[in-house]
Amino acid sequence: MKYVALVVAIICFLIAVLYALGAIGWFADPAHRHHYSHFALFVVLGALALVWMRFAAQPARP
Amino acid sequence: MQAMLLAVLQGVSELFPVSSLGHTILVPALLHWTVDRRDPTFLAFVVVLHFGTAVALVVFYRREWLRIVRALVASVRRGRLSGARDEHIAWLLVVGSIPVGILGVYLESPVRGLFGSAAFASIFLMINALIMFAGEFFRRRQHENRGKQYKRLEAMTWMQSIAVGLAQSLALLPGISRSGASIVAGLAVDLDHEDAAHYSFLLATPVIGAAALIEMPRLWGAGVHVIALQALVGALLAGVAAYLSVAFLTKYFQRNDLRPFGWYCLAFGALCLGLILKGVIA
Repeated sequence: MKYVALVVAIICFLIAVLYALGAIGWFADPAHRHHYSHFALFVVLGALALVWMRFAAQPARP
Repeated sequence: MQAMLLAVLQGVSELFPVSSLGHTILVPALLHWTVDRRDPTFLAFVVVLHFGTAVALVVFYRREWLRIVRALVASVRRGRLSGARDEHIAWLLVVGSIPVGILGVYLESPVRGLFGSAAFASIFLMINALIMFAGEFFRRRQHENRGKQYKRLEAMTWMQSIAVGLAQSLALLPGISRSGASIVAGLAVDLDHEDAAHYSFLLATPVIGAAALIEMPRLWGAGVHVIALQALVGALLAGVAAYLSVAFLTKYFQRNDLRPFGWYCLAFGALCLGLILKGVIA
């Protein structure tokens, strides 16, 4: 499961960077080129995925 | 003067289950204030008011937030959940904030574009009343008539927290109250009024704070003319109003329910809709 979490985190950070650079604008206001709120959302989701990875990496309780 | 009144209105209506967004549309329309809601200066001022409200919530629940943040950090360091109360509440808040975070970022702009008029705000304010009446009706049927036990906040499940978070997202519609929707959702997952309101206010803090932080660059945007003193006084007034509101509401929900707010929303929404149909307000 920890590898799934890692992949999710990488995807989230990648999407965040693309939003910040203005390379993508999916479902975003076309009036603004750099979508900082979308960037912030995906950074937070990426960080949460890393936390999920940390939880998943711990051995199960006996 | 209008800005200061707007600050107090925002601080109070953000936490009372009466929709702050609905009121910041309807009250200026009712008083014939010329407020351009798309004006960068107005948007920047609203950011400042949200910031003041979020700070007030943090100050009011400062001891609990300290425990929650400590428990959250400790659990991440440990890489394992211990099942302690504060830690469980911390993760409930994280899980509950995800739906409104995603939906807010993606839907806020189109929803406000579609439903940002005074007429829609009036209609949704009446729907807000019906949501609160329905929540109270089902709570009474379950708990008072059938004797079902209330659940404590720490007994909430992850899915229930997501459900409350999703309910909170209804507040993207102007006229639907964030706290009203989340308190009703809390009642639906068997919390009592006190715990449902408590969880609603805790859940509101990261949402309002994050919304203010994300929008903070607007303060330095092109065409913004917010005077520093005006912004500071506005944030202070909104913060004081929010602090007094949450202090009042935490006491109020120990013994009372949502119905008085429902009647108020129904009456105010109907009044505004009537005045719009008569052409008295635009």
